[in-house]
Amino acid sequence: MGDAIVGIVANPLSGRDIRRLVTQASVFPTAEKANMIQRMLTAFGAVGVQRVLLSTDLGGISAAVLRAIGRRPAAAGSGPDGRWPEVEFLDGQPIRQTAQDTVDAVRRMVAADARVIVCLGGDGTARVTASAVGDVPMLALSTGTNNVFPAVREATIAGLAAGLVAAGQVDQQAATTRAKLLEVRVGDRAETALVDVAVSTERHVGARAVWDPATVTQLFCAFAQPDAIGLSSILGQLCPVGRHEPHGVTARIAPDADCQVLAPIAPGLVIPVGVREVARMQPGAEHRVAAGAGVIAVDGERELTFSPGQDVTVRLRADGPRCVDVPAVLAASARLGLLRRRC
Amino acid sequence: MTETVQRKALSREQLLSAYRMMRTIRDFEERVHAEFATGEIPGFVHLYAGEEASAVGVCLNLDGRDTIASTHRGHGHCIARGVDVTEMMAEIYGRKTGSCHGKGGSMHIADLSKGMLGANGIVGGGPPLICGTALAAKIKGTGGVSVAFFGDGGSNQGTTLESMNLASVWDLPAIFVAENNGYAETTSSTWSVASDNIADRAAGFGMPGVIVDGFDFFAVHEAASEAIARARSGGGPTLIEMKFTRYFGHFEGDQQTYRTDEVARARAELDCLKRFAGRVSETDELARADLDAVDAEVAALIDAAVESARAAPLPTEADLLTDVYVRY
Repeated sequence: MGDAIVGIVANPLSGRDIRRLVTQASVFPTAEKANMIQRMLTAFGAVGVQRVLLSTDLGGISAAVLRAIGRRPAAAGSGPDGRWPEVEFLDGQPIRQTAQDTVDAVRRMVAADARVIVCLGGDGTARVTASAVGDVPMLALSTGTNNVFPAVREATIAGLAAGLVAAGQVDQQAATTRAKLLEVRVGDRAETALVDVAVSTERHVGARAVWDPATVTQLFCAFAQPDAIGLSSILGQLCPVGRHEPHGVTARIAPDADCQVLAPIAPGLVIPVGVREVARMQPGAEHRVAAGAGVIAVDGERELTFSPGQDVTVRLRADGPRCVDVPAVLAASARLGLLRRRC
Repeated sequence: MTETVQRKALSREQLLSAYRMMRTIRDFEERVHAEFATGEIPGFVHLYAGEEASAVGVCLNLDGRDTIASTHRGHGHCIARGVDVTEMMAEIYGRKTGSCHGKGGSMHIADLSKGMLGANGIVGGGPPLICGTALAAKIKGTGGVSVAFFGDGGSNQGTTLESMNLASVWDLPAIFVAENNGYAETTSSTWSVASDNIADRAAGFGMPGVIVDGFDFFAVHEAASEAIARARSGGGPTLIEMKFTRYFGHFEGDQQTYRTDEVARARAELDCLKRFAGRVSETDELARADLDAVDAEVAALIDAAVESARAAPLPTEADLLTDVYVRY
């Protein structure tokens, strides 16, 4: 068995899109993203992680972590409580300031045998990470806008859980769960989503975020929680589906529908959305999109355009990314006494 | 189709107009680049090529009530606001037929009849101006909105920061467009801008701040239309940060030893004109033939503008004191 390696990929642009303007979405400061990484480094050090591979960026996150490492007194490296793992910055490749940076970093982490990959961002960042992570367990922490898939969780705790899994102290099978996935195909192009796929009548990808439900005609959800934010909240209030239930749910969205759901589709935006034809999605079953032209949004971001005559299909898959189950890891740690000393 | 979609969808005419403006800016700048090298053009020129989607995506949302203030890199903003291209070229050549009768040059092209308050040789000079026009619009109740374009260097100027504060305090219909092309002259914005994003500063002034892919016309247009609609309806100012790259040096003659291959990559992969053409073709909104026709029309326009500028007279000694003093 090789080194206990954890990868961390942090999106410098999460929490910055048009929803700051059209809703009251929060700005997630870069400094806090860097602080979260530092808190994780402390947790990793405490549970025996040896190396951390960190993505690099032009947004100031990796630079802030580098400065923090430089400021640490030499003595901090020796004690068991303050030790940080060795941090390797994944530089040396072009930074494009697009989602490709996340894909490139995650692929390098997988190739370097990272045992867990932590991603900091919103649903969009988690989706991109999931597309490149293969069978390596991931842990998504929220630093974005609409956060359904990533958890809003203290980074220290997430760091302990990721570290215990990477260090092989808990059974990896018991410590991780398999997420569902939505696969959308437009001709020969394909995208995946972790939470929802929306069909929008917008013609262009534009500012990416979907914040106007009047443009949405159809919605597919891998899961729909009653306490979610974003498009999946619409079905979460109507026909909840859990993260680990085998099926998904789909519906037509129509402003004139009898059934209206008051849904929090973005931070600071609670609006009535008309819903009809709610149906279960069974794993593997192909759902054809009934629209002439428009844009497909995955996890709340417009991604694929389609034209009349193009076949658009959506399918629920059971083989999504493996995700670290933080409460399960720490419960196992309590059972096994992993964080206890002399008691 | 719902009301919202109809409100947002760009018509064929609007799409053609957007492409025509972006193509005009690109061809204008590439021609000035070539002509400047001959030594015929006096003074300095700072070219806007690469940044077209910003000027056009913002200005397409404006109407006759609105004003804009520009920068030393102002040709694109002028064209997007409808300033006459032939007069602009003559101005750059220092000719009497120019927008400012040949006495302003590239860095001072202004046309108040078009709501263009002027290119501006003073870095950070535009934001205070638009606070004035925005205040006038607010007091008169015209519904007018004012837009200041400035660069990453301009974003660090006290005038810009004071203007954002004032606009927020007075709840002005003002839009601050930070065109972050990565370098203030030769200084990297990753070094000179203390916050990690210029848009992050908006929070300190109590206004929304958004980051937009400045190479993407549709992303710019959507964000600008929301910010402008918000300002028009009394919602106050917004800061929009465009992230992109300029294709030429800071000024013509800049050796650009401070940057590497980012321009080649941007031209190949991110170019706003290529992306626009690709997207409208994909959605069948415009045909390649429509775009080719615009290209030919614009090429002829730029040729004629250069020819006309070269043939135009220079200002005379008698012109020295005209347009200098104003009686009021």
